Amino acid sequence: MNTENILLFKSNIKTASDKFAVERILDIHPHIEQWTVDQQDEDCILRVISPRLTHNHVIDMVRGCGYHCEELKD
Amino acid sequence: MRVRNEEKVQLVKQKAMEMVVSDGFEGFSVNKLARACGISVATLYIYYKDKDDLITEIALEEAKRMGEITLGDFDPELSFAEGLRKQWENRSRYILENPVASAFFEQLRTSTYQDKVMECIICDFKAKMGTFMQKAIKNKEVDAMPLEVYWSVAYAPLYSLLRFHHEGRSLGGKPFVLNEDIMWRTFDLVVKALTPSK
Repeated sequence: MNTENILLFKSNIKTASDKFAVERILDIHPHIEQWTVDQQDEDCILRVISPRLTHNHVIDMVRGCGYHCEELKD
Repeated sequence: MRVRNEEKVQLVKQKAMEMVVSDGFEGFSVNKLARACGISVATLYIYYKDKDDLITEIALEEAKRMGEITLGDFDPELSFAEGLRKQWENRSRYILENPVASAFFEQLRTSTYQDKVMECIICDFKAKMGTFMQKAIKNKEVDAMPLEVYWSVAYAPLYSLLRFHHEGRSLGGKPFVLNEDIMWRTFDLVVKALTPSK
């Protein structure tokens, strides 16, 4: 597993409908191999696997859907 | 790239099982686990997708280890009594040496994670124990019977003794420590009960 391709974020993608709203963008993005959001976590951690995208790309996309998104720092 | 530190991986596994045992699945969180392990939340999310993934992976890994301990040196060609004795030895050893993991599996049995993990445990057991049981039935060392009936006689007594031992008390709160004598006396009665009458 190349851990450098894993991008992590805190978000407020809390509910099924929140997830549906970002799904429309993230599912079809050609540079996203896989993404998941831990809705059982208080920070709703968004995990994106992409060899090309940067944290800022994803933050812009998610914020564009109307949700909070910030990099989860180590 | 981050280096996967085996010591940390084992610490995460142990702490995760401890937390599930003490707080239940509802009370478990990746955040709390990271704090308990002294590592960042991000490190955990690098290796696990989410809480469910983490619990499932840890349970599968431990189930695999339990299977290896229980079945590793088990020879299906043993006679019925010898084979069952070996199973009692292996199972009691695993449970006595791994009290946290055993309690974790107890919690798992009544949770939504049960199907995924039990499938993995049962698969290995079925193959090896199936051969052992078929041979024992063929040799008339034991009668054919529903699995639940067999398990309730062959293994349930061992798990009852181990439960008393872990709780430190038996019926009516009487102090209890499992020893070899009690275990093998019970075992002899189990074999007697399962031996077909001539």
